[in-house]
Amino acid sequence: MARSRLRRRPSLSRVLSRAAAFVILLFLVAPLVVLIGSSFSATASVSFPPSGFSLRWYEYVFTSAQWRDSFLASGLLVLLVVPTVATLAALGGYAVVRGTFPGRGAVSAFLLSPLLIPEVMIGLGLLSSLQPLGIRGTVASMWIAHSLVCLPFAMRSVIIAVSGTDPRVELAAASLGASRVRVFLTVSLPMMAPGIVSGAVLATVVSLGEVAVSAFVSGPTTTTIPLRIFSAVQYQLDPSAAAASTILIVLSATAMVLLDRFSKVRIA
Amino acid sequence: MARGVRPTGRTRGTLLALPATAFLVIVFAFPLVFLLILSFRPTNEYNETLDGFTLDQYVAIFTRDYMSSALLNSLQIAAFTTVACAVLAYPVAWILARSNASVLRTVTFLIVVSPLLTSVVVRSYGWRVILSANGPLNSTLMALGIIDEPVSMLLTQPVVLLTIIHVLLPFAIITLTTALRTIDGTLYRASESLGAGPVRTFVTVTLPLSLPGLLSGAMLVFALALGIYVTPLLVGGANQTLVGLRIYEQVMTLFNQPIGAAFSYVLLAISLVVIAAMTWISRRLEVKRG
Repeated sequence: MARSRLRRRPSLSRVLSRAAAFVILLFLVAPLVVLIGSSFSATASVSFPPSGFSLRWYEYVFTSAQWRDSFLASGLLVLLVVPTVATLAALGGYAVVRGTFPGRGAVSAFLLSPLLIPEVMIGLGLLSSLQPLGIRGTVASMWIAHSLVCLPFAMRSVIIAVSGTDPRVELAAASLGASRVRVFLTVSLPMMAPGIVSGAVLATVVSLGEVAVSAFVSGPTTTTIPLRIFSAVQYQLDPSAAAASTILIVLSATAMVLLDRFSKVRIA
Repeated sequence: MARGVRPTGRTRGTLLALPATAFLVIVFAFPLVFLLILSFRPTNEYNETLDGFTLDQYVAIFTRDYMSSALLNSLQIAAFTTVACAVLAYPVAWILARSNASVLRTVTFLIVVSPLLTSVVVRSYGWRVILSANGPLNSTLMALGIIDEPVSMLLTQPVVLLTIIHVLLPFAIITLTTALRTIDGTLYRASESLGAGPVRTFVTVTLPLSLPGLLSGAMLVFALALGIYVTPLLVGGANQTLVGLRIYEQVMTLFNQPIGAAFSYVLLAISLVVIAAMTWISRRLEVKRG
């Protein structure tokens, strides 16, 4: 009895484990907190805690032509990439789970394989192939690059969703006389919709933040928000990049909150 | 789930798989084949690609110190990052998988995914602010009297390592959480009731059962760490001896695509060998468990 009473008290190892977790979480969140804080700086230097409070860098980001072009470039890419990726992932993800064609396993592995290739290699591969075609630096090249980077994430999300649905529902629809196309559109598609939605949200978040591959194929007209932050951080450091970063964080977080609202799918 | 219940023996789904497969063949497989050919092409003194066949690039990677040291250093950094992420992931994944306090779990989850939702440039920028001469870390250390004047921490290798761990840790935590959730909770109580302390329970129950999940997270972290370049470039500068940075520099600054291509293939080969080894180990572990 006394022994079990003793066990209920938080043990030393439990306290240590919690303390370690606290420090690690602090480590994870620190740069974001510092960055958001310094975006409200009243002076031209990036510092934390910020010197004074002002929204001048936000005003700057919203009125500067350069930042506006970047927001437009990022927005345009999301509008192009997300429908592309969602369509390819919905069809492909469904096919590799429910399909009965030869080489299905190999196709499935192939569709997820870009995740295993170093980003720098994907970037260089696209650069060396798109340059001779003369489309490096265009919106088309960024559309291709982002679709390629985002596709495996969406694909995985759709595959998980389809695997979790019951194929007998589709069989029931087919036995009642529905054609294959009708079964897919009216039964399969609604059942895997949560997977497609979460895949689309992941694609949005990945596209909004993509730098490693984009840096190889972007051009002056396709400098997205993260690419402009990338060059701003390398060459000059003023709080406008912090303000743009904060806006980017808010945009991505909004996408995730919408996902949480409208579907039951979690990424973890 | 009702596997084997198929309407007919006909092949289905070929047409549906076609768009995504064709897309990847054109924009992914084809460029990689082109890159392989490019890696064997000779170059002139202006780094222009010529026709022909040469092994010069591959020889240079392993013999020129400038290249080979980057390869060795990247391997060390990737290995260290993988181990560090595995260790650091446990306390946090434990809360996500096992804690009964839902508020704690939600806050932890939000903190773990928040870096994933944030571009690597944004995170690297945050680190630059923290580590800068007039940043919060230096002022805290000075206020505590540990240092007398600001230490310049940016552009050093330890800081590069720290930020790489920061970028990749969420991947390790999420994979490990999934693994810890599948462990039957009664096993812990059984272990405890048989008199094992928390440390012994961890070593004999938690660790072996979560090892496959830990390994799959480790593979991901290792592969991503090996080729990373954006974060090291932003906090460490272009002079860090890392493969990813060397490739970026050779291609974007010196316009030497063939050497970048050869370096990419060496990088891929190493990463595939390590992933294959880890897969083999985790298969063996699963077979042993039955």
